[in-house]
Amino acid sequence: MKTDDLIERLSRDVAVAKPLPAPGIRTAAWMVWSLCYLVAVAVMMAAVMSSTAVVATPLYFVQQGAALVTAVMAARAALASVIPGSNNRVWVIPAVGAGVWGLSLVWAGVLDLQASGTLGVTSQTDWPCVISMLVGGLVVGSPLVWMLRRGAPLTPRLTAFLAALAALSVANIEACLTRPHAFALTVLLWHGGTVAAVAALCGLTGRRWLRWPDLTTR
Amino acid sequence: MDESSAPDEHLSRLMARAQQGDSNAYVTVLRAITPRVRQLVRTRRQFLGESDVEDVVQEVLLSVHAVRATYDPARPLMPWLSAIVRHRLADAGRRYVRQGAHEVGVDDLDVTFQAPAANSREETFDDLDALAQAIQALPPGQRQAVELLKLRELSLKEASALTGMSIGALKIATHRAITSLRRMLRRIHEG
Repeated sequence: MKTDDLIERLSRDVAVAKPLPAPGIRTAAWMVWSLCYLVAVAVMMAAVMSSTAVVATPLYFVQQGAALVTAVMAARAALASVIPGSNNRVWVIPAVGAGVWGLSLVWAGVLDLQASGTLGVTSQTDWPCVISMLVGGLVVGSPLVWMLRRGAPLTPRLTAFLAALAALSVANIEACLTRPHAFALTVLLWHGGTVAAVAALCGLTGRRWLRWPDLTTR
Repeated sequence: MDESSAPDEHLSRLMARAQQGDSNAYVTVLRAITPRVRQLVRTRRQFLGESDVEDVVQEVLLSVHAVRATYDPARPLMPWLSAIVRHRLADAGRRYVRQGAHEVGVDDLDVTFQAPAANSREETFDDLDALAQAIQALPPGQRQAVELLKLRELSLKEASALTGMSIGALKIATHRAITSLRRMLRRIHEG
């Protein structure tokens, strides 16, 4: 087909394409959904578990705050990465958030070692949290993927990695809210491991589920 | 005003109208950006032939069409367009490398016998009636793929636009059709 013919075909009866809202606004919409999910799970769990189950220390708030910042910034970065011409260094802020989150857990581990004389690596397995994070990640991540698929898959691997990081950061907060952990290293290994493994897997398979639309059939 | 030299501000306004469904504005934008895209592709991939350049240009236009909702009319059009061109060029480069990995370059074909039939590079079949019958016996999708791609010699993109089938589906249909034809014609030849 000649390029002129293609132009004619594309412009014939062109449909309205309302500009997407700015990434910040789309991030806010996604965060509203995520917070609703968190509140719903917290209310449900409060009904079945003791209110003293989770000990909220200042370090606990730092960890959850860092996870929340990572979620917001990773979602914003993912949504910006599907807008052609946007800043391509968008991943820096979520990386800083994830770094603070990891460091706060390491610091909490040091405090555990001082207080109990052990890091508690073998004291607690955390499969229920892994499962709840996977389910929560799916619930929170699905609308984000839907939003991302309306953009341009310029860097599908990075976008998919950031989306998974955002969704699982929220799911991590939910898992920490609803299940007490005796040692910080348990959270670092099980929660951090889940986030890292799933985000890496999503990054590797990003090209498969964030693709350019097949225009030849439109 | 020459469309290809239209200032960015004018293009941004036209694109905003195109997003609202204005076909005339859209065709003007596409015509104005096409020479710029072609120039960008030529500059960044100097080794590409004219037809390959045109393939990439068309791919960029299709991408622009697919993601036109991502354009923010408050911002200039060219950075948005350049980002699409850059990434589509990278995709084309990856595809080029992938295809190259499955191809073997042959500089000089060995001659086996002097007889012309032994040195023919084409797969030929003389019984055209039998070939026509075999094509008619193919399932409709495979028959259409052979007719468009092998008999009318359309490109995959053109055949895809005509039939509404994806390029992948066309390739599969053609491959299956050729395999079936070989089997049918061998049977006719032998029996």
